Amino acid sequence: MLSTFFVLGMAPLAFAQVDPTVAASGMKLFAAVVTAAGFGIGIAAFGTGIGQGIAIKGAVEGTARNPEASGKITVTMLIGLAMVESLCIYALVVALILLYAYPMAAPVAKMIGLPL
Amino acid sequence: MEDLGLIHQLIVPLFGHKMTFNIDVIVMTWIVIFALICFGVFATRQKSRLPGPLQVVGELFVKHLFELTEDALGKRLSKKYAPLICALFMFLLLSNWLGIIPHLEEPTKDLNTPLSLGIMGFFLTHTAAIREKGFFPYIAEFARPFFIMLPLNIVGELAKVVSISFRLFGNIMGEDLVLAILLFLAGKFLAPVPMMFLAIFTSFVQAFIFSLLTMMYIAGSLEESH
Repeated sequence: MLSTFFVLGMAPLAFAQVDPTVAASGMKLFAAVVTAAGFGIGIAAFGTGIGQGIAIKGAVEGTARNPEASGKITVTMLIGLAMVESLCIYALVVALILLYAYPMAAPVAKMIGLPL
Repeated sequence: MEDLGLIHQLIVPLFGHKMTFNIDVIVMTWIVIFALICFGVFATRQKSRLPGPLQVVGELFVKHLFELTEDALGKRLSKKYAPLICALFMFLLLSNWLGIIPHLEEPTKDLNTPLSLGIMGFFLTHTAAIREKGFFPYIAEFARPFFIMLPLNIVGELAKVVSISFRLFGNIMGEDLVLAILLFLAGKFLAPVPMMFLAIFTSFVQAFIFSLLTMMYIAGSLEESH
């Protein structure tokens, strides 16, 4: 059903002379890759938000108890935040690889007919 | 937007294999090196008790980073390694901030720069520990308390290199990509400007984290066995 839709949808678009069924499966692969990138970074950001929130909670409670130590607590909190953020950055790097440097980009583009 | 990922490359064929030089990154690194050498020369020109502005900045860097290194490594070893951590921090700080100047871009945007600095840190930690403790006692430390810990520790060491490099690379390249996309989407409304303030802050934090972690890995490999 979905492939019929893709085939019918691809017919009026004429990037290049390409077999429509092959183009449809190439388009499905492209859609799957982009969906994976979007969901990947979304889930990573969700976990990072919770983790960094817990870190800041600890830092603010420590400063509230002992305002004199606020300098050291702030430095430690920033280091901890950078550690947790790096996990989200790994997911971002994977998402960017999927979007921009996907290893199968050239064959898939040939399937769809995009001039790459 | 069409030339988003375009890098000028110089490909030199060498005995059947190809060497690629990323010209943009190399030229930006030269600019950073030149700026740091000029700063070093002018900051130490006339050392006086009432310092001029460049000397104040230099003393700020040296004081804080040398104190940080002494806390972690102890007085004797910090004489050897504190200048390296200070130089690493200054190089990374200027590299990450270079994107603010128009027509210049950060050399740490390419994976090669952070990865090579991470591999340098890897060799530093192991050479420092081997020099202090001897080769076989240090290798034997990986296999304590059970022998099954040996592959886990080896993977852990490689994971340290990968994590430290990808953290710096991902932050700087991600920030640059966000700025480029914001400029493409909403450049008329000066949308990238608040993001640039955030980029200044996170570039500073990432340079600090990289040098701090390198120093902590050196300290961790030099401490007494479990």
